[in-house]
Amino acid sequence: MPRPVTEAARTRTGNYVIAAAAGVALLGAAGCSSGGTGAGSAAEPATTAPAAQGQQPQASGGASGYADGTYSADGQYQSPGGTETIGITMTLQSGTVTDVQAQTRPSNPNTRRFQGEFASGIAGQVVGKKLDELNVSKVAGSSLTSGGFKDAVEKIKAEASR
Amino acid sequence: MAALAHEFAFDAIGTRWSIATGQPLDAPARAAVAACIEDYSLLWSRFREDSLVARLAGQPGSHRLPAHAAGLAEVYAALHRATGGQVSPLVGSSLERLGYDAGYSLTPAGDPLPAPAWDNVDGVLAWNGPELATAAPLLLDVGAAGKGQLVDLVAGVLRARGFARCLVDAGGDMLVDAGGPVEVALEHPYDATRAIGSLVVEGQAICASAANRRAWGEGLHHVLDARTGVPVDSVAATWAVAESTLVADGVATGLFFASPARLAAESCLAGFSCVRMFSDGRAEYWGTLKGELFV
Repeated sequence: MPRPVTEAARTRTGNYVIAAAAGVALLGAAGCSSGGTGAGSAAEPATTAPAAQGQQPQASGGASGYADGTYSADGQYQSPGGTETIGITMTLQSGTVTDVQAQTRPSNPNTRRFQGEFASGIAGQVVGKKLDELNVSKVAGSSLTSGGFKDAVEKIKAEASR
Repeated sequence: MAALAHEFAFDAIGTRWSIATGQPLDAPARAAVAACIEDYSLLWSRFREDSLVARLAGQPGSHRLPAHAAGLAEVYAALHRATGGQVSPLVGSSLERLGYDAGYSLTPAGDPLPAPAWDNVDGVLAWNGPELATAAPLLLDVGAAGKGQLVDLVAGVLRARGFARCLVDAGGDMLVDAGGPVEVALEHPYDATRAIGSLVVEGQAICASAANRRAWGEGLHHVLDARTGVPVDSVAATWAVAESTLVADGVATGLFFASPARLAAESCLAGFSCVRMFSDGRAEYWGTLKGELFV
């Protein structure tokens, strides 16, 4: 589902490294599609038709001849498992592509895995950093489980080691 | 966070809570928070004998629940659809079978037990809006999104009492309305002293789910495929950022079974962004995120 223009446009301000990297990875992958995406090159974004997705570009115009807005289209490519579809959403501002998003529509589990790698960007093996090297206020995880559950696990460990 | 200098920390519903506010929480506000949590667990807790869930496990019936149950039903229906039934509120008996029961036996009582099918039209459970009716004794479990919704409800209690800004953190699932950005580390699922990345969150909720937390044995943890009753093993951990903690929590669970794109196709879930780490150590990100992953 295409995301709103306002949200997509935010991805190029500040240090939104994640979204920016996703766009780069996507364009490389879309180049091997069997046609129809219009997203093979960042230089020709306007061949993408917005109407089918039901989201109208915002008509603010620009010197480029392309209306500013968010454009979406589907493209197909051949995978070993058959034809697969990938959805591309692009944001144009003053003739420049400011954001690219992809939505995968995989039809088999293997494709789901491989599509994920270029649709969203796979960061390779995540090594991590020591928490105490980071200047963070909060940790999102589930290690803070307290009470009965932890106690019960400890009890089981104790019994198991007897 | 500097603006939220006052912290109120306590244990409830099996996790550690931390509520940060600009002004200290007075006694009536603390009592209101406690009452909100108590009311919610009286509905949904699988771990107390006086809850609605415990009653429904013994005796079928029809109940009109508080209004917020409609939001939970909507998220559950979306998750159920998007995952082809792998996420279901009927997974309670499957969890119990594997040992995650009210007595924390943590000992499997037999082979994995598939959850009963959820079909509002012609099934053992009809849950539409705040109306919930069962046709047989059933053990419900709303662990996929319930804690997130409770965080939202607690934040609502605080706002109603004039605490305009707050950070409500329930064991790492949190709503951040701190009046400024808060950097949140993504805990490494295999090493709690490390982070796989960090995200900047502001005016949003972030929730995490990890298969190795609330784990009690080889291959035994709390994220089950309701269709088989077997714990998931391909995804190690997920993090979701969304407008509400209810949605962030639900999406964090749904990502164990469905792609981000499939979940985002559900209108009541759309708008989230996420990171998930597979059990082979790869990480995937999706949507608009501010932050970095450490690779």
